[in-house]
Amino acid sequence: MVNPTFFKGKFFTARLVTTTVSTTIIAALLFLGLAGLCAVPAIGEPSASAAQADTTQESWRTEFDNVCAKTEDAMTFSQEELMDLIRRCDTLQPRIEKLDESRKKVFLERLRKCRGLYAYVLDAKTKEKN
Amino acid sequence: MAACGILFLADFVSAQIYLPKPAPAPSEYGKVILDNYAGAEPGAVVFDHWLHRSKFTCRVCHVDVGFAMEAKATGIKASTNREGFHCGACHDGKRVFEGKTVFAACSDAAHDQQCDRCHSLGKKGVRKYEYKEYTAKFPKGIYGVNWEVAERSGVIKPIDFIEGLSVKKAPMKSREDFTVQANYSWVHPIEFSHEKHSIWNGCELCHPEIFPTAKKGTVSYSMFSNIEGRYCGACHGKVAFPLNNCQGCHAKAPSWVP
Repeated sequence: MVNPTFFKGKFFTARLVTTTVSTTIIAALLFLGLAGLCAVPAIGEPSASAAQADTTQESWRTEFDNVCAKTEDAMTFSQEELMDLIRRCDTLQPRIEKLDESRKKVFLERLRKCRGLYAYVLDAKTKEKN
Repeated sequence: MAACGILFLADFVSAQIYLPKPAPAPSEYGKVILDNYAGAEPGAVVFDHWLHRSKFTCRVCHVDVGFAMEAKATGIKASTNREGFHCGACHDGKRVFEGKTVFAACSDAAHDQQCDRCHSLGKKGVRKYEYKEYTAKFPKGIYGVNWEVAERSGVIKPIDFIEGLSVKKAPMKSREDFTVQANYSWVHPIEFSHEKHSIWNGCELCHPEIFPTAKKGTVSYSMFSNIEGRYCGACHGKVAFPLNNCQGCHAKAPSWVP
């Protein structure tokens, strides 16, 4: 049997306070840990998307630059090379269509001009052969 | 009866004589008014081709920046300028050109607002450059500045690359100039400088949109189509030297000052 007066003792009160504080700290640490674990993907995800978006943005531009840098040499390409450039322009178009309005407007027009020239030279070469 | 005959003949003659309209003063030539909002504040934009062509090739603006060759086809807005497109491709308040920072077009920043520099229709004394003073030292031809000579002599050095927008390309290989025989024996042939045209315009500005076929003899070019704004008339008669400057193309033609 436990002496009921024991519960009223100062020692018990001090132990009770210490235990409560410890429990609170442990609970808080556990909560923070859990929150931290949950937050890792939550924080990581947008960064990954932003990086991905940046890479995608860069890649369409790199491809655009690569394809349209050759317009002035169009006459020197074979029909196969010209067809490949036209195909690359066509692949690029839907990617540019996803860009913001102003960028889309400018680069679609540029792509149209660039593709148009390759098609024009291809047509001229085909007619020349026939 | 005789009067009727004369009237008929006059009608016939006027239909046959289809000459290009006399060009305006060189300072007015190639002037473009952009009035998307019917005169609403801050007013219509006045764009002078002569000022910009002294600094840039036609290609860099009409291909890389994306200015259309037809009126109202570009869709220029204050917002596109602020985003760094159209006028804002150069007028961004950051680019340094000839030692000066190019002012920002349609800037939101109050200290940077210079609306009247462009929105200048009907406003006197707001333009920074006037044709007469600006072109005073440029070589002149039959009609205004001879841009070809100006470039050759180094008076102007048109830029063909805008960082962040233009595509890096290898230097253009020389295009061969050629002669185009006129449709009529009494008309002098055209000495066409393919090289000069490709350096200033690039290939994709002219082909296939303006000149849709490379096969000789498939299209019958004529002064009529030029006057209507097709083929050579897409630029000549609007911005490049006027169509009644015959010697510009028909090199051996007799001089005729329009």
